[in-house]
Amino acid sequence: MSFEEFQNRARLYVIGALEADETEAFEQARKKFGQKAEDFIADCYSMHEAFALSLRPAKSSEALKERLMSMVRNRQKT
Amino acid sequence: MAIDYSSRNGTPDERVEAPGPRLPASAPELDPGAPTDLELMHAIQKEDPEALSVLYDRYNGILKALILRVIHNEAEADDLLQEIFMEIWKQAKNFSAQKGKPLGWMVTLARRRAIDGLRKKQAYTRAGERLQSETEQQPDAWVHNATEEEITFGDTRILVRRVIDTLPVAQQEAINLAFFRGMSQREIAAKTNTPLGTVKTRLELGLKKIYDGLKELRDEL
Repeated sequence: MSFEEFQNRARLYVIGALEADETEAFEQARKKFGQKAEDFIADCYSMHEAFALSLRPAKSSEALKERLMSMVRNRQKT
Repeated sequence: MAIDYSSRNGTPDERVEAPGPRLPASAPELDPGAPTDLELMHAIQKEDPEALSVLYDRYNGILKALILRVIHNEAEADDLLQEIFMEIWKQAKNFSAQKGKPLGWMVTLARRRAIDGLRKKQAYTRAGERLQSETEQQPDAWVHNATEEEITFGDTRILVRRVIDTLPVAQQEAINLAFFRGMSQREIAAKTNTPLGTVKTRLELGLKKIYDGLKELRDEL
Protein backbone atom coordinates (compact mmCIF):
# COMPACT_ATOMS: atom_id res chain seq x y z
CA MET A 1 0.00 0.00 0.00
CA SER A 2 1.38 3.41 -0.95
CA PHE A 3 1.32 6.23 1.57
CA GLU A 4 -1.36 7.98 -0.47
CA GLU A 5 -3.54 4.88 -0.25
CA PHE A 6 -2.80 4.70 3.44
CA GLN A 7 -3.94 8.31 3.82
CA ASN A 8 -7.23 7.53 2.09
CA ARG A 9 -7.79 4.57 4.39
CA ALA A 10 -6.77 6.55 7.46
CA ARG A 11 -9.47 9.13 6.81
CA LEU A 12 -12.01 6.30 6.68
CA TYR A 13 -10.49 4.67 9.75
CA VAL A 14 -10.90 7.71 12.00
CA ILE A 15 -14.60 7.95 11.28
CA GLY A 16 -15.03 4.21 11.76
CA ALA A 17 -15.89 3.56 8.13
CA LEU A 18 -13.12 1.10 7.34
CA GLU A 19 -14.55 -2.31 6.53
CA ALA A 20 -13.30 -5.32 8.46
CA ASP A 21 -11.63 -6.79 5.39
CA GLU A 22 -9.67 -3.55 4.89
CA THR A 23 -8.46 -3.30 8.44
CA GLU A 24 -5.68 -5.88 8.27
CA ALA A 25 -3.98 -4.24 5.29
CA PHE A 26 -4.41 -0.87 6.94
CA GLU A 27 -2.79 -2.02 10.16
CA GLN A 28 0.12 -3.52 8.23
CA ALA A 29 0.66 -0.26 6.39
CA ARG A 30 0.37 1.61 9.66
CA LYS A 31 3.25 -0.42 11.04
CA LYS A 32 5.24 0.00 7.84
CA PHE A 33 4.95 3.79 7.83
CA GLY A 34 5.55 4.09 11.58
CA GLN A 35 5.51 7.52 13.18
CA LYS A 36 4.57 9.20 9.92
CA ALA A 37 1.42 7.09 9.90
CA GLU A 38 0.64 7.84 13.55
CA ASP A 39 1.05 11.57 12.98
CA PHE A 40 -1.27 11.45 10.00
CA ILE A 41 -3.92 9.51 11.90
CA ALA A 42 -3.74 11.96 14.79
CA ASP A 43 -4.17 14.81 12.34
CA CYS A 44 -7.18 13.09 10.78
CA TYR A 45 -8.91 12.97 14.16
CA SER A 46 -9.09 16.74 14.00
CA MET A 47 -11.83 16.23 11.43
CA HIS A 48 -14.02 15.11 14.32
CA GLU A 49 -13.80 18.58 15.79
CA ALA A 50 -14.60 20.14 12.46
CA PHE A 51 -17.68 17.96 11.96
CA ALA A 52 -18.96 18.83 15.41
CA LEU A 53 -18.25 22.50 14.91
CA SER A 54 -20.18 22.48 11.66
CA LEU A 55 -23.35 22.02 13.71
CA ARG A 56 -25.33 24.75 15.36
CA PRO A 57 -24.91 24.43 19.14
CA ALA A 58 -27.96 23.09 20.94
CA LYS A 59 -29.22 24.47 24.21
CA SER A 60 -29.18 22.49 27.44
CA SER A 61 -31.04 23.29 30.60
CA GLU A 62 -29.37 24.82 33.60
CA ALA A 63 -30.86 21.97 35.66
CA LEU A 64 -28.82 19.48 33.69
CA LYS A 65 -25.62 21.25 34.60
CA GLU A 66 -26.66 21.46 38.23
CA ARG A 67 -27.31 17.70 38.27
CA LEU A 68 -23.96 17.03 36.68
CA MET A 69 -22.03 19.23 39.09
CA SER A 70 -23.90 17.74 42.01
CA MET A 71 -22.91 14.24 40.86
CA VAL A 72 -19.30 15.33 40.48
CA ARG A 73 -19.16 16.88 43.95
CA ASN A 74 -20.85 13.87 45.52
CA ARG A 75 -18.35 11.63 43.83
CA GLN A 76 -15.55 13.72 45.28
CA LYS A 77 -16.91 13.29 48.79
CA THR A 78 -16.92 9.53 48.60
CA MET B 1 -0.65 27.41 39.48
CA ALA B 2 -4.28 28.29 40.14
CA ILE B 3 -6.56 29.01 37.23
CA ASP B 4 -8.47 32.26 37.09
CA TYR B 5 -12.03 31.22 36.24
CA SER B 6 -13.42 34.73 36.27
CA SER B 7 -13.21 34.89 32.50
CA ARG B 8 -14.93 31.77 31.31
CA ASN B 9 -15.78 32.34 27.71
CA GLY B 10 -14.09 31.47 24.53
CA THR B 11 -12.24 28.38 23.73
CA PRO B 12 -9.41 26.52 22.92
CA ASP B 13 -5.91 25.96 23.11
CA GLU B 14 -4.64 28.20 20.42
CA ARG B 15 -2.43 29.81 23.03
CA VAL B 16 -0.99 26.46 23.90
CA GLU B 17 1.63 24.75 21.89
CA ALA B 18 0.13 21.88 19.97
CA PRO B 19 2.13 18.72 19.42
CA GLY B 20 2.84 19.17 15.76
CA PRO B 21 0.56 20.55 13.09
CA ARG B 22 -3.14 19.94 13.39
CA LEU B 23 -6.10 20.70 11.24
CA PRO B 24 -7.74 23.96 12.20
CA ALA B 25 -10.61 22.59 14.04
CA SER B 26 -12.06 25.38 15.59
CA ALA B 27 -11.35 27.81 17.95
CA PRO B 28 -13.57 30.63 18.68
CA GLU B 29 -11.73 33.39 20.35
CA LEU B 30 -10.70 33.13 23.92
CA ASP B 31 -11.49 36.01 26.23
CA PRO B 32 -8.37 37.54 27.72
CA GLY B 33 -7.48 35.61 30.83
CA ALA B 34 -9.84 32.73 30.15
CA PRO B 35 -8.27 29.34 30.79
CA THR B 36 -7.44 27.33 27.70
CA ASP B 37 -9.02 23.94 27.09
CA LEU B 38 -5.72 22.31 27.93
CA GLU B 39 -5.46 24.17 31.23
CA LEU B 40 -9.00 23.07 32.04
CA MET B 41 -8.19 19.46 31.23
CA HIS B 42 -5.15 19.57 33.48
CA ALA B 43 -7.29 21.04 36.26
CA ILE B 44 -9.91 18.32 35.75
CA GLN B 45 -7.15 15.74 35.98
CA LYS B 46 -6.50 17.25 39.40
CA GLU B 47 -10.22 16.87 40.20
CA ASP B 48 -11.13 20.54 40.13
CA PRO B 49 -14.93 20.66 39.59
CA GLU B 50 -14.86 24.33 38.61
CA ALA B 51 -12.75 23.42 35.59
CA LEU B 52 -15.41 20.94 34.50
CA SER B 53 -18.03 23.61 35.01
CA VAL B 54 -16.17 25.98 32.69
CA LEU B 55 -15.59 23.25 30.12
CA TYR B 56 -19.29 22.39 30.27
CA ASP B 57 -20.29 26.01 29.68
CA ARG B 58 -17.93 26.18 26.76
CA TYR B 59 -18.85 22.98 24.95
CA ASN B 60 -22.19 21.59 26.10
CA GLY B 61 -23.92 23.15 23.11
CA ILE B 62 -21.54 21.68 20.58
CA LEU B 63 -21.58 18.24 22.16
CA LYS B 64 -25.35 18.23 22.53
CA ALA B 65 -25.72 19.21 18.88
CA LEU B 66 -23.51 16.28 17.96
CA ILE B 67 -25.50 13.88 20.14
CA LEU B 68 -28.79 15.16 18.77
CA ARG B 69 -27.50 14.67 15.27
CA VAL B 70 -26.99 11.01 16.10
CA ILE B 71 -30.02 10.14 18.20
CA HIS B 72 -32.63 12.79 17.33
CA ASN B 73 -34.21 12.77 20.76
CA GLU B 74 -33.97 15.73 23.12
CA ALA B 75 -34.46 13.85 26.41
CA GLU B 76 -32.06 11.08 25.46
CA ALA B 77 -29.56 13.68 24.28
CA ASP B 78 -29.68 15.41 27.66
CA ASP B 79 -29.15 12.12 29.48
CA LEU B 80 -26.24 11.24 27.24
CA LEU B 81 -24.73 14.70 27.58
CA GLN B 82 -24.71 14.31 31.33
CA GLU B 83 -23.16 10.85 31.06
CA ILE B 84 -20.53 12.13 28.66
CA PHE B 85 -19.45 14.97 30.95
CA MET B 86 -19.28 12.48 33.81
CA GLU B 87 -17.10 10.32 31.61
CA ILE B 88 -14.93 13.33 30.80
CA TRP B 89 -14.56 13.87 34.54
CA LYS B 90 -13.70 10.23 35.20
CA GLN B 91 -11.55 9.62 32.13
CA ALA B 92 -9.68 12.93 32.06
CA LYS B 93 -6.59 11.16 33.34
CA ASN B 94 -6.49 9.26 30.04
CA PHE B 95 -6.35 12.44 28.00
CA SER B 96 -2.98 13.18 26.49
CA ALA B 97 -2.20 16.44 24.74
CA GLN B 98 0.31 14.53 22.65
CA LYS B 99 -2.53 12.81 20.84
CA GLY B 100 -4.64 15.85 20.10
CA LYS B 101 -6.69 18.68 21.46
CA PRO B 102 -9.20 18.40 24.31
CA LEU B 103 -12.12 19.21 22.03
CA GLY B 104 -11.15 16.45 19.61
CA TRP B 105 -10.95 14.00 22.51
CA MET B 106 -14.35 15.08 23.81
CA VAL B 107 -15.99 14.93 20.40
CA THR B 108 -14.59 11.47 19.75
CA LEU B 109 -15.85 10.31 23.13
CA ALA B 110 -19.27 11.90 22.66
CA ARG B 111 -19.71 10.50 19.18
CA ARG B 112 -18.81 7.00 20.31
CA ARG B 113 -21.20 7.18 23.24
CA ALA B 114 -23.99 8.58 21.11
CA ILE B 115 -23.61 5.89 18.47
CA ASP B 116 -23.43 3.20 21.17
CA GLY B 117 -26.56 4.66 22.72
CA LEU B 118 -28.30 4.65 19.41
CA ARG B 119 -27.53 1.00 18.86
CA LYS B 120 -28.35 -0.07 22.39
CA LYS B 121 -31.74 1.49 22.30
CA GLN B 122 -32.43 -0.17 18.99
CA ALA B 123 -33.63 3.12 17.69
CA TYR B 124 -31.45 2.64 14.66
CA THR B 125 -34.19 1.81 12.24
CA ARG B 126 -36.61 4.45 13.43
CA ALA B 127 -33.93 7.14 13.46
CA GLY B 128 -32.76 5.99 10.07
CA GLU B 129 -36.23 6.47 8.70
CA ARG B 130 -36.33 9.91 10.20
CA LEU B 131 -32.92 10.66 8.73
CA GLN B 132 -34.04 9.44 5.34
CA SER B 133 -37.06 11.65 5.55
CA GLU B 134 -34.93 14.61 6.53
CA THR B 135 -32.44 13.89 3.81
CA GLU B 136 -35.15 13.72 1.20
CA GLN B 137 -36.55 17.01 2.35
CA GLN B 138 -33.16 18.59 2.68
CA PRO B 139 -30.58 16.82 0.52
CA ASP B 140 -27.72 18.65 2.09
CA ALA B 141 -28.58 17.47 5.56
CA TRP B 142 -25.59 19.18 7.11
CA VAL B 143 -26.76 22.58 6.04
CA HIS B 144 -29.18 23.93 8.52
CA ASN B 145 -29.49 27.11 10.48
CA ALA B 146 -26.69 28.60 8.48
CA THR B 147 -28.10 32.02 9.17
CA GLU B 148 -28.49 31.57 12.92
CA GLU B 149 -24.96 31.76 14.06
CA GLU B 150 -24.35 32.04 17.73
CA ILE B 151 -21.75 34.57 18.62
CA THR B 152 -19.27 32.15 20.06
CA PHE B 153 -19.02 29.50 17.40
CA GLY B 154 -20.60 31.32 14.49
CA ASP B 155 -17.51 32.24 12.53
CA THR B 156 -15.93 28.86 13.02
CA ARG B 157 -19.06 27.09 11.90
CA ILE B 158 -19.35 29.22 8.80
CA LEU B 159 -15.75 28.50 7.85
CA VAL B 160 -16.08 24.77 8.41
CA ARG B 161 -19.42 24.74 6.60
CA ARG B 162 -17.85 26.45 3.62
CA VAL B 163 -15.44 23.57 3.32
CA ILE B 164 -18.16 20.93 3.66
CA ASP B 165 -20.46 22.76 1.26
CA THR B 166 -17.96 22.35 -1.55
CA LEU B 167 -18.70 18.62 -1.59
CA PRO B 168 -21.29 17.09 -3.90
CA VAL B 169 -24.44 16.13 -2.02
CA ALA B 170 -23.78 12.40 -2.49
CA GLN B 171 -20.40 12.71 -0.79
CA GLN B 172 -21.88 14.75 2.04
CA GLU B 173 -24.57 12.15 2.53
CA ALA B 174 -22.07 9.29 2.66
CA ILE B 175 -19.91 11.10 5.21
CA ASN B 176 -22.95 12.14 7.18
CA LEU B 177 -24.13 8.53 7.45
CA ALA B 178 -20.68 7.29 8.38
CA PHE B 179 -19.80 9.96 10.91
CA PHE B 180 -23.12 10.83 12.50
CA ARG B 181 -24.82 7.44 12.20
CA GLY B 182 -21.82 5.20 12.61
CA MET B 183 -22.67 3.26 9.47
CA SER B 184 -20.20 1.03 7.68
CA GLN B 185 -19.61 1.32 3.95
CA ARG B 186 -21.83 -1.72 3.38
CA GLU B 187 -24.62 -0.26 5.49
CA ILE B 188 -24.42 3.01 3.58
CA ALA B 189 -24.47 1.12 0.30
CA ALA B 190 -27.58 -0.76 1.38
CA LYS B 191 -29.30 2.31 2.75
CA THR B 192 -28.65 4.47 -0.29
CA ASN B 193 -29.00 1.64 -2.80
CA THR B 194 -25.57 2.45 -4.15
CA PRO B 195 -22.78 0.07 -5.19
CA LEU B 196 -20.24 -0.50 -2.43
CA GLY B 197 -17.38 0.72 -4.62
CA THR B 198 -19.21 3.98 -5.26
CA VAL B 199 -19.77 4.51 -1.54
CA LYS B 200 -16.08 3.92 -0.88
CA THR B 201 -15.11 6.41 -3.58
CA ARG B 202 -17.54 9.00 -2.26
CA LEU B 203 -16.21 8.66 1.25
CA GLU B 204 -12.58 8.78 0.18
CA LEU B 205 -13.02 11.76 -2.12
CA GLY B 206 -15.25 13.63 0.27
CA LEU B 207 -13.01 13.13 3.27
CA LYS B 208 -9.94 14.11 1.30
CA LYS B 209 -11.61 17.32 0.18
CA ILE B 210 -12.64 18.14 3.73
CA TYR B 211 -9.19 17.32 5.06
CA ASP B 212 -7.48 19.41 2.39
CA GLY B 213 -10.00 22.21 2.78
CA LEU B 214 -9.47 22.38 6.51
CA LYS B 215 -5.73 22.46 6.01
CA GLU B 216 -6.08 25.37 3.62
CA LEU B 217 -8.27 27.07 6.15
CA ARG B 218 -5.61 26.60 8.78
CA ASP B 219 -2.99 28.04 6.48
CA GLU B 220 -5.17 31.06 5.81
CA LEU B 221 -5.73 31.58 9.51
